[in-house]
Amino acid sequence: MRATATVLVALSLVAAGCGHRSSAAEERTILIVVDAPFSQSPYIGNTIGNGAQLAADQLNAQGISVGGAHYRVRILRLDNALSPSRAVADTRRALREHAAAIVTDGTGVDASWRLANAQHVPLAITYQGGLGLVNPQTRPNVFRIAPTDHGLAFRLAEYLVPKRLKIAMLTDDSDYGQAGKTALTDAFRTVPKSISARITLPSTASDLAPQVLEARRSGATALLVWARAAVLAKTIVAARSAGWGVPVYTTPAGEDPFVRQQLADHRSWVNGLTFASGRMTAELGPAPWATFEAAYEAAFGTTNVGVKSGGRPVIAPPDYAMYSYDFVNLLGAAVRSASGTDPPKVLAALNQVSTHGANGDERGFNERNHEGVVDDDVYFARFRDMVFRPVRDDPLSSTLPVINQVR
Amino acid sequence: MSTQTAAVRTGTALREAVATARRSWTDTATAGGAAFALAAVAPFVLGGLIAEDTLASGAYLALAATGLGLCVGLGGVPSLAQGAFVGTGAFVAAHVLRHTQLPAELCALIGAVAAAALGTAAGFAVRSLDSVRVAVGTWLLTWLVALGLGALPWLSGGGQGLVVPTRRLFGLNPTPLVHYELAVILTGLCALALLALRRGPFGLDLAAAAQHRGAAAALGVPMERLRVGAFAASAFVGGLAGGLAVQLEIVADPTAYGPLLSFELLVAVLVGGAAAALGPGVGVIVLGLIALAARALGALAGVSASRFQPMLEALLLLAVLTTGGNAIVPGAIRAVRRFRRVPARPAARAVMPAPKRREHLRAEGLVKRFGPVSAVDGVSFELHPGTVTALIGRNGSGKTTVLRLLSGTLPADAGAVRLGQHELAGLTPAERVHAGLVRTLQSRRAFFSELTVLEHALVGANRTRRYGGAVRTVVSTPLHRAENRLAETRAVAALETVGLAADADRQAGELTGSGRERLMIAAALATNPAVLLIDEASAGAAPEELELLKTIFIDLKNQGLAVLLVEHNLGLVRAVTDQVLELELGRVVPHKPNSRL
Repeated sequence: MRATATVLVALSLVAAGCGHRSSAAEERTILIVVDAPFSQSPYIGNTIGNGAQLAADQLNAQGISVGGAHYRVRILRLDNALSPSRAVADTRRALREHAAAIVTDGTGVDASWRLANAQHVPLAITYQGGLGLVNPQTRPNVFRIAPTDHGLAFRLAEYLVPKRLKIAMLTDDSDYGQAGKTALTDAFRTVPKSISARITLPSTASDLAPQVLEARRSGATALLVWARAAVLAKTIVAARSAGWGVPVYTTPAGEDPFVRQQLADHRSWVNGLTFASGRMTAELGPAPWATFEAAYEAAFGTTNVGVKSGGRPVIAPPDYAMYSYDFVNLLGAAVRSASGTDPPKVLAALNQVSTHGANGDERGFNERNHEGVVDDDVYFARFRDMVFRPVRDDPLSSTLPVINQVR
Repeated sequence: MSTQTAAVRTGTALREAVATARRSWTDTATAGGAAFALAAVAPFVLGGLIAEDTLASGAYLALAATGLGLCVGLGGVPSLAQGAFVGTGAFVAAHVLRHTQLPAELCALIGAVAAAALGTAAGFAVRSLDSVRVAVGTWLLTWLVALGLGALPWLSGGGQGLVVPTRRLFGLNPTPLVHYELAVILTGLCALALLALRRGPFGLDLAAAAQHRGAAAALGVPMERLRVGAFAASAFVGGLAGGLAVQLEIVADPTAYGPLLSFELLVAVLVGGAAAALGPGVGVIVLGLIALAARALGALAGVSASRFQPMLEALLLLAVLTTGGNAIVPGAIRAVRRFRRVPARPAARAVMPAPKRREHLRAEGLVKRFGPVSAVDGVSFELHPGTVTALIGRNGSGKTTVLRLLSGTLPADAGAVRLGQHELAGLTPAERVHAGLVRTLQSRRAFFSELTVLEHALVGANRTRRYGGAVRTVVSTPLHRAENRLAETRAVAALETVGLAADADRQAGELTGSGRERLMIAAALATNPAVLLIDEASAGAAPEELELLKTIFIDLKNQGLAVLLVEHNLGLVRAVTDQVLELELGRVVPHKPNSRL
């Protein structure tokens, strides 16, 4: 009996030892967890993951040596499947594995930031722009490098109102659409007469003709659509198939390859679609972006849209990848500044350091501002023959170069 | 009653309970105890191999699945709504946690009660539907809840979910380990409850209703009420799991309680073994292994594991269903029993208690029309205690219709049925059985093939119980245990009357056709009736079986019962009856005396 007990205890200890981790080498690894919707929105998930991986590879190539210790950056991709509870579980795993930071699209941040904050682990949002996700006072470990809903909505208002258009505001019933509705309502509050109708688009409807007809009857001379890519495509189909050539304005959903794929049989319907997004180039010119894009394509290849322009394949520029790329670089700078990976020190350093972003912009945070993309960085681009170029009737956009999108 | 007396009685009751538990302790119970102990120490043994929060989530899933076992395993009702009940518990608990300062356990309990309310409503809606329609109906409910959560961000918290404040749980810091141990304890208790219910009157009645609705109805099993109860209990446990799990996850996630969760829970229950207490828990472990396999396949194919997981689960379910529902735990138990023969129950001797009352039945002017056809047209007769009456006639003459009118499965267009001083009009078949009028069915398939012979008789004996409710069964009150003994005595006595006492532990499906007929007579007899209606018991019986039937009917007569036989075998009629009624085109025709048949 005693022998059996001894064996059981020994086995338990061996089993427990299997899961133990203590080597000094592991402490020199900077683990960054990318928690993104790889299964539900692969385009977004992979864009975020690839951006972070590219920065990690470059940092590793350069080497991070602080205080005689050498660090390697490792990226761990976890799929949150757009589920807040999965995001919480992923955050717990990241903390168990002593991650130095978590890069996320924004799913589940309301719940997971407390867990990360308890261990002083920074959480970087690189896609969602929702109001309230970032607040340096109440959520000191949450940062964002992505255009905010507030910024997109106010820039859209700033761009559209002077055109004296009667705008039908179409938002879908997803969380994305509802968050956009809130932001747009706020942005257009002072100019209510420019809004001819506020219509909710059912995400699951196969035909949006009734909603588009309602917008048309309201006397609208422009459609402002804040919806997921699939709903945006259906909205354009409904308008154009009814012979209505109304201009359509939208959010970064407009540059999602899905929209062009859906409209591939009616290429002309894409023409004129205008979207707001974070700019890919800054005052320094297109060189930084070109360098980033070339490195990205060398590492991961191009993201083919699946349509052609002028007989050549169209690719999607990795613009959202630059946000996760920039954050990983900022974290590297923070580790150097903190002389190590002590979480409180790294978190504090993130409020101090800055780097040059993929688009040449200065990226950095401070104690009062955890937004990495300022509202003024939102630009507008318009499609022509399946590729987009910055508009010329907006002061910021008109200064931006055209990014090559064919290969 | 003095305190001392009460203490003595409590002590006696406890000793009896312990003795009962020791008597009924089996190898399966030992295995269950070992499984529970292993589960409790798993986080310490597994170390960092599986994260504690993953284990805790799995344990809550096992709790919800064990709750579903109440519905699927006991009731044979393929509910696809358990995910909706878990979600209801989660969101109600989350809202209560956010808006009140109530203790965490109470919030979870409120969530469970809300889920039980939804379960009661769902059970009521599907109480009389067949399995396919139940599955479809509950599937729709799951979609309704999922779509509702998606459409109402104020209720669900939208894409970010409803963030739940953390609060101490039973005075402990609510770490994943605390949640895990709590979930294991609750799953263990739920499995014990499932076991107690399965062996008790609630489970036997539900099993009977699941196996043959007609036969169960004839014995007065209140099927619809039991189904509603099973749904409510199942939903309560699911809601409790949801209400606690949401505190582990710190967020109520509207995407987490959709149809996939309901599907996975049903797969876990069916794969592990729906009626086995440990089956759902084992099923959840299998699901965990499938998740690992899906992860490996996903890594190989370079896509997300979530693309493979539902596919593998569906394949597993298909495999279980196509192999005749051979689930893991019941299969293992069968395999063990093959090697370790269970000693046969010693043949019990019991004396049939006297009928509850010697009452005569009077039918007056019974009429039943099916469109233009009069199946029964003004039939009147009396059945006296201690007599056997035969109802004979050609096929289609209306004999079985008369039985159905008497037993209440068919409403009469006119006429009255009185049992003693009681008018039976308006009473359901179950209420008529309770009043003392019971019938058997004509078909030899009208029996419960998966029950043992003794359990069959117990289904009948359950009708005489006062303390056989689900709660008393789970708690095993002294009154309940005392009544168990009485019910078993009554059941064994009924089996002795029909010559089946020696077969008490055999599966009913192993009996001959005639044996099944006698078995259903025994089950009817165990309801302690005053009037017994028997529909063609001799059909296909061999000569020696006919002799046995004669003996049985004479025995029943001697016990003071009023028996009405629908029979084609005139030899049997001649041998045992005191009165013969012949039906022709729905009317009683004047008949010659029994001796001149």
